[in-house]
Amino acid sequence: MIGRAVANEFAKMRRLRVVPVAAAMTVGVVALSCYALAAPGFPESVDDPAERPWQWLLGSMALAVLLVSPVLLAVLASRQVDIEHRGGGWLLSQTSGLTPGALCRAKFAASGAVVVAATLAQSGLVAAIGGLAGITVTFPVGQWLGYTASAVVVNLVLFALHLWLAARTANQLVGLGAGVLGVFAAVSGTGMSTGVAHFLPPWGYYALSVPVDVREAGVVSLDPPYLSVAALGVAGGALFLFATRLFDRREV
Amino acid sequence: MITTHDLGKTYGDRTVVANLDLRVPEGCVYGFLGPNGSGKTTTMKMLLSLVRPTTGEIRIMGRPMERSTRRELLGHIGALIETPPSYEHLTGRENMRLVKRLLDLDEGRTTRAVRTVRLQDHLDKRVRDYSLGMRQRLGIAMALAREPRLLILDEPTNGLDPAGIEEIRRLLAQLAGDGTTVMVSSHLLGEIDRTATVLGILGEGRMLFQGTRDQLLARSTPDVLIDTPEPERATALTARWSAYRDGPAVRLPGLDRTGTARVVAHLVHERVDVHGVRRDAQSLEDVFMDLTGGRGL
Repeated sequence: MIGRAVANEFAKMRRLRVVPVAAAMTVGVVALSCYALAAPGFPESVDDPAERPWQWLLGSMALAVLLVSPVLLAVLASRQVDIEHRGGGWLLSQTSGLTPGALCRAKFAASGAVVVAATLAQSGLVAAIGGLAGITVTFPVGQWLGYTASAVVVNLVLFALHLWLAARTANQLVGLGAGVLGVFAAVSGTGMSTGVAHFLPPWGYYALSVPVDVREAGVVSLDPPYLSVAALGVAGGALFLFATRLFDRREV
Repeated sequence: MITTHDLGKTYGDRTVVANLDLRVPEGCVYGFLGPNGSGKTTTMKMLLSLVRPTTGEIRIMGRPMERSTRRELLGHIGALIETPPSYEHLTGRENMRLVKRLLDLDEGRTTRAVRTVRLQDHLDKRVRDYSLGMRQRLGIAMALAREPRLLILDEPTNGLDPAGIEEIRRLLAQLAGDGTTVMVSSHLLGEIDRTATVLGILGEGRMLFQGTRDQLLARSTPDVLIDTPEPERATALTARWSAYRDGPAVRLPGLDRTGTARVVAHLVHERVDVHGVRRDAQSLEDVFMDLTGGRGL
């Protein structure tokens, strides 16, 4: 039944403006990332490995992701869940044998795929634009993929949190408010030490995932705590499963 | 089809349903009546395992309704609880497709369900453009799509105009004719009085009456009306039977046959002319009002 429920979630996305929201997330990140291309001295650095032009672009993208994703993920989750509150969808599903928790998990599977696709598209498009802008130095495949995987994990955990929040409270302003606060939390995370940022999940993990830093000497590569990001993914998944199981016990 | 034993639901120290022994025979239209807040919706939710009973047990189609049997039993039960469910941004057809896919039904079943509620000409409209009656019919079509043996409808006529109410009545009668057991709740007796073959009347969470329409009427003793040219004197002479004047007649409440004979004999003995003795015509609504303490109608 869960497979059919996931298929239904894709069908429900019709006319919900899911694609425009996901596209806005992608375009927003790509547009903000491209600021790096307009930075003074960047056009001259595209051929110089010492200037690390790809790392500039990657750092720019990481900053754009933490600025754009929290709010748009909140909007996406809210749109998916609000239709159940307004249309009596919880009861319809329950009387069809699909528990509210299972419905939430089906939503996560379907909309999560959109989130993953949008995140991969952002990463791919920024890389493509870097290439088109004339960067000729070797592309840092491992670093780029490492960051992309981290962004996917953090985005999915944050999306799961917003789905839970939207399902828990019918007033969708709560989730959207949390999304706006999330931007502040994510930005604040960049100014915190790694240790402190660990205690601000999931928003602080956007900052933890940033693979570069700008120092006096220029842009330097960092060694992001991938293990911590993976732990966030596992813990977030377990918590989401637990929280949605609790929904099954809730009386309507 | 449905039996409950000592069914009850308590929230904190507030009892919503108590000691409910429902008996819904197979193939009937069971009118579940009661004033607003009497516990009808909570009872229906317990039947569908949406709310856990505090006490008692439920058996549907001979099987206990509990967590382990819930999904299988729900496959044979269509339900419409509270507001009709639908996704407003989708068309009626897309909504029906969701139900079809979720329950893994074939196209024929959803087509038949849509035809039963006569919605086939409006399927390509978005639900947000539907009237309340059309939404109600779509909700019923969604419940009917699985071709259920039992259909549970909670106030399906709420907010409908008289034509819509009549349409729902006809639909219920048709479904019962096709062998579906229908349990339908309402706080308005007139809406289901003519359709229901069995009535259950709930008041403050307790079953006040359960049986047929005739049994319900028989439960109440209509007033006796005595026609006499001397109503003033006759009223004074029968004061001990709580008589009072009602226009040109004398009205005596709660009198059985023996009591009536005694009153008439007394009046004749006192040389009061008695031109006629009859029972007042009593509507089902009067009985319902009587049972529910005058609430809900």
